[in-house]
Amino acid sequence: MRKILFTKNPIYLIFIALFISIVFSLLLYGTIKLEKNITQKMIEISTFDVISIANNNASSIEKSLQTSTRAYSKELEVNPKLRAKIEENLSLLLTSNIKYAYLIYKDARGIFRFLADGAKENEKAFLNQKFDIDNSRWLEVFETKKPLVLEHSYSQELSITYLVPILKNNEVELILAIDFSIKKIEEINKIINWIQYTIITIIFIVIGFLILLLIQTFKYLAIKKSAYTDKLTGVFNRNYLQETENSINLNEYILATLDIDYFKAVNDTYGHDIGDKILSQTAQIITSTVRINEDIIIRYGGEEFIILAKINRNDNLSALNVIERIFKNIQNTQFYINNQEFINVTVSIGVNLVPHKSRSFSDAFKLADLALYDAKSKGRNNIEIYDEIKNKNSESTLSINEIKDAIEKKQVVCFYQEIIDAKTQEISHYEALLRIIDKNGNIVLPEQILPIIKGTFILRNITKAILKICYKKLQERKDIKINLNLNPKDIIDNSILQLLKNFALEDNISSRLGLEIVESEDLINCKEAKDNLLMLKSLGYKIFIDDFGSGYSNFIYLTEIKSDYIKIDGNIISKILEDKISFLLVKSIIDFAKEADIKVIALYVNSKEIFELIKLLGVDYAQGYYFSTPQEIKV
Amino acid sequence: MKFIIFLITLISFVNADQYTFLLNKYDKELELEAKIISNIATASIKGEIKLYIPEISSIENDIYSKFFILTNSCEDANFIFIKRNVDLDFYCKNNNSKLFFTNNYEKLLNNDRYLGAFFWNKSRPNITFIKARLEKQKIELSKDYDKFVEDF
Repeated sequence: MRKILFTKNPIYLIFIALFISIVFSLLLYGTIKLEKNITQKMIEISTFDVISIANNNASSIEKSLQTSTRAYSKELEVNPKLRAKIEENLSLLLTSNIKYAYLIYKDARGIFRFLADGAKENEKAFLNQKFDIDNSRWLEVFETKKPLVLEHSYSQELSITYLVPILKNNEVELILAIDFSIKKIEEINKIINWIQYTIITIIFIVIGFLILLLIQTFKYLAIKKSAYTDKLTGVFNRNYLQETENSINLNEYILATLDIDYFKAVNDTYGHDIGDKILSQTAQIITSTVRINEDIIIRYGGEEFIILAKINRNDNLSALNVIERIFKNIQNTQFYINNQEFINVTVSIGVNLVPHKSRSFSDAFKLADLALYDAKSKGRNNIEIYDEIKNKNSESTLSINEIKDAIEKKQVVCFYQEIIDAKTQEISHYEALLRIIDKNGNIVLPEQILPIIKGTFILRNITKAILKICYKKLQERKDIKINLNLNPKDIIDNSILQLLKNFALEDNISSRLGLEIVESEDLINCKEAKDNLLMLKSLGYKIFIDDFGSGYSNFIYLTEIKSDYIKIDGNIISKILEDKISFLLVKSIIDFAKEADIKVIALYVNSKEIFELIKLLGVDYAQGYYFSTPQEIKV
Repeated sequence: MKFIIFLITLISFVNADQYTFLLNKYDKELELEAKIISNIATASIKGEIKLYIPEISSIENDIYSKFFILTNSCEDANFIFIKRNVDLDFYCKNNNSKLFFTNNYEKLLNNDRYLGAFFWNKSRPNITFIKARLEKQKIELSKDYDKFVEDF
């Protein structure tokens, strides 16, 4: 935009040129003024002593003539001795800088005539010789009766003439004239020129620095812009968010998080190049839908975008319309994977309509993410708006600080859900599920905790707390097995790994502690995580892949991780009775697992019908409300 | 680039006074002198002025020829300007009907043949006519010249 303005609208260049011209004119005017002032001051300083001597000389002439009753000119005409004495005094004034010193008067015709001349004998003017003045300002002395300094602008010989009036009866009778040679002014000019060149040099240096600064600033801005732009999509990246999140005025925006549905499947099916193309095209649709210079788009990571839609005059609807348009435009776009084939892409969007109610951008984002989480859990391809009242009243959402406090005050507890052996219908394992008892005694569920602490160190601390609770429970009850949930980051966290290594040192602990991990792209792409899982297996821990079939389902992944159990996603199991695809999916997972010697657990087994069906399909274990709700382990 | 040229132009204007070295100082002074002599000659002679300067230099020749018809001898001229320390009688013997001008005040005082003088006094141009000599030549100058006429 800025580029277009500068190239297509030359008026900006005219303004810049005008501004620079004005600055230069002012600088030049200032320099000229300064030069004049300095010249004047230097002339005053350098002529001060001569002027004082000339004034004394004039006083002395006046004193010597005071006793005369005749006109001063007449007196000097008839008194050669006095004239000779005055001429001698005047000759003493002459130096290389003072060229002439002479005494003149104005006759009845108004013609100036010499009375005495300090010059050498051969250059001396004759008595009463006519003297043609070169400047009418000489006559000012007769009016002002005060000394006068005259400057010679065009003379090649003289620079300044100093005139001192000699009065009789308050009338100017004689004038003592001192002519300064050009040498004096030349010396001053040399200094002035030196000052002038110094000033010009300084101005050039300053301008040079300013230009350099300007270039560096432009460079810096260009680099900064590049650092803040996601190269693939052209929208802002996470660096931009980190830099600006504290300065974004949350009162002015609604905050939405957008996630491309089943993006991993696209990547796996068509390759990363197509994945990148989808990402880039999605970003293009978002960019073309939002309002230029109002809304902000950030690629938060992977296939997740943040959209800050500006609120106009406290009207949330216009901003929400933007989000809805983005949703529909993506839904209606055909994403071409080659010249002939195209696929349709859908997105899930979580919206926080009141980000200003949060203490920070991070908190506001977490609420939008919570809504996104809801949108995904409701089957994806929809927009979910964060419901403050629902979240507050029903589940009492906690803040990060409250969660931190809960860990410290040991308010983090575990509820356990039974995992039943499908054949014997006896309890095989327990799954430890996170709960926090808030200050009012309410039980807070993981859905209200995990999105808030996602990406923070608190998630690691809460995992450690759960580990310790489970370890303690296993010590108390030697007859039970407990599973707990780990997130991909826990698998590469040294403190958690150390804790698990320590537990494994004790007999009969690691063999009874199952580690449930949600399948994720992060995990499969991280060699360290895979190595750590194998190491944990070697310590005796059993590995459970949680919610298999929910997202990044990949059978090769199972063989790489060498999991002992897979837990089929509850959403698939819950639809197994009425949805043929879900049925076939469960069947194929079970068939594969049998072949791979992996035990299968079905989640969300909430009815007898579901249990009967999965048992028929050959599921090894079942977990769900049909058997028990999460609770304390019965003695 | 344009910006640099603009700067150089500005600096050139600021330092314009420095360029007087390009002119010969004497030329300026000589031109001024020729102009004054032209005015004086025009005021003194009605009709065409033919100027003769004995031992004229080439630069004087160039400058004076802009204002006068220059002659090579006193006989052909009607206005003679003696600038150098030359013997007037050697160049212009018995040519009393012509107008003689000098650039030396002392010569003006000492030789009646000179009508007036144009000379530099205290670095200022000075012009002096002698009233009696003007009358003798029956020359009437305009009132503007009154302040230059001395009545000895």
